[in-house]
Amino acid sequence: MFKALFALLSVLFSLSASASGFTFLSKVSNAIHTEEHVLTFTLIAGLLIVVGMIYRSQLASVGNAIIPDKGVSFRNIVEAFGEFIYNLCRSTMGEKEAKKYFGCIATLFTFIFISNLIGLIPGFLPPTDNINTTLALGVFVFIYYNFHGIKEQGLVGHIKHFMGPVWYLAFLIFPIELISHAVRPVSLALRLRGNMFGDHLVLSIFSGMLPYVVPIAFLVLGLFVCFIQAFVFSLLTMVYISLATAHHDHDEHEAH
Amino acid sequence: MLKLMTALVTFVIAAIAFADETGTVAATAGNVIHSASNYTDKTMFAMAAAGAITFAAIGGAIAQGKAASVALEGIARNPAASDKLFTPMIIALALIESLVIYAFVIAFLIKPTV
Repeated sequence: MFKALFALLSVLFSLSASASGFTFLSKVSNAIHTEEHVLTFTLIAGLLIVVGMIYRSQLASVGNAIIPDKGVSFRNIVEAFGEFIYNLCRSTMGEKEAKKYFGCIATLFTFIFISNLIGLIPGFLPPTDNINTTLALGVFVFIYYNFHGIKEQGLVGHIKHFMGPVWYLAFLIFPIELISHAVRPVSLALRLRGNMFGDHLVLSIFSGMLPYVVPIAFLVLGLFVCFIQAFVFSLLTMVYISLATAHHDHDEHEAH
Repeated sequence: MLKLMTALVTFVIAAIAFADETGTVAATAGNVIHSASNYTDKTMFAMAAAGAITFAAIGGAIAQGKAASVALEGIARNPAASDKLFTPMIIALALIESLVIYAFVIAFLIKPTV
């Protein structure tokens, strides 16, 4: 009981400390002359690799890997997480495509979720509050869905998507589609960056201003916002992929 | 109706009464807005940054209120469909909020010039 109280008080004291702008990795980044968000992102990548390796080793050491463990264990948490994302993929993209794109979507979701969450720990900055990180993610999503759209339908078929449903309005629809496609990575990047930056700013301002217990409300809000933003990013990625690789089956018109 | 007119007239009179009474000399060489007043270019920048986020928050709140109210009404009619309604509602809320975030970003881009 006292241990919990001590932990809580130390978190709240360090909230006020980080409100003045101190972070752990700032010392490291000044020593190596790199940017801090690159360091944090690398840290998260290393963390996820370690989690993956532990999971694989636990999977190999258990005899029958299909049967889950009893209760709450490391394997169960990782599998529940993966199942959540897989159900999301399946409901948006259909069964067959969900298997193909699950790797990318799960990686994106996990990276963005953990990156956002690390901002809530006092002494760390979320790497996604910098436009460089989020723009890199947005451009990656753009290249990914265009690449898969061209792979599924050929270059001509992919460009035909831009023409719109009817051929005589193509001159009107083509520029609009082009602009909306070009804005997609920028909008993804700005949305994520603005949310994380604003959230971190609000948290640090209120931690500096209010007494020690009140910023908990902002931490809860921050938790909610982190999850929602990662969720929306990966959901929009799934929607873009399914729009780019959609096959128009003309045989269905005869089934009426 | 009478109350509305009274409030409006009171507001107009107060606005006129509290207006600045500084002489507006014609702007010399195009540097500041009013030469003989307390306003500078920085005032306009500050008002622009504040106004951007103000109007964005108003519009965003109205739009999100509409989206959430229709989703809640759908859940109230059919509580079994609440899972299927939750995901599109969250997507709609996040898309509307992203427009507010664009205005927030612009306000923060204007902020260093003040």
